[in-house]
Amino acid sequence: MNSTLKVINKMVEDGVIRRYAVAGAVGALYYLEPVATSDVDILISIDELDPPASGFMVLKPVTDYLAKAGYTEYRDEGILVEGWPVQFLPVADDLDAEGLDQAIEIEMPDEAGPIEVNVLRPEHLVATALKVGRFKDEIRIRSFLDLKKVDFQALAGVYDRHHLWDKWARFCEKAGLTDPTILKLRT
Amino acid sequence: MSSRRAVYPDVSEILARKERGRRNLASLPFAEKIRILEAMRDRLELFRRLREGRVQEAERS
Repeated sequence: MNSTLKVINKMVEDGVIRRYAVAGAVGALYYLEPVATSDVDILISIDELDPPASGFMVLKPVTDYLAKAGYTEYRDEGILVEGWPVQFLPVADDLDAEGLDQAIEIEMPDEAGPIEVNVLRPEHLVATALKVGRFKDEIRIRSFLDLKKVDFQALAGVYDRHHLWDKWARFCEKAGLTDPTILKLRT
Repeated sequence: MSSRRAVYPDVSEILARKERGRRNLASLPFAEKIRILEAMRDRLELFRRLREGRVQEAERS
């Protein structure tokens, strides 16, 4: 995956994307135990377009750049970059924008020197999983809670700013969570 | 109907060990977890190919 991450860093260097953060299962992997996944989700910001593009047109600069670099094959809805299908997800709401803005920078060891990689914070990974709400997202949230990888104060702030309390209450009810420190996150 | 009650073994130690293993995995360096993920992916790819082979065989017959 190092080669994939190097290509993404090069995209930032070349100005195709302004900023990125590893999201989804691979982002969660930084904090949790390994869980099988077939693709890499990359949250990206692209320079504002006038008029703003929508749908797949948003990704045109990305796909054009990658096609020029020889990455034209698609697998599992992702563009195959150095063996990994990569799903580029443009920032689509305030939660995404905040997550990207507050992403942490980590270093991946590599033969050619460490690779800098941006990863979403656990609170934004949890909030995004809550927003998306698929079964696998709910499992991911449980893992973050079980392994105590979430700062509850920070998570409460994210829920406040992005109006996620109702979804959180429904999730807790469905998951049978009764721990008051989890239920009463609101400060 | 039998009135005998089933007796089950205490598996709490096994479950606790499993949980410790999970926490150990979670605390590994990111690069190490990526290596595990890649190995998982390779194994799953093998299963996927075997499954596709079975499906194609079934379609032919």
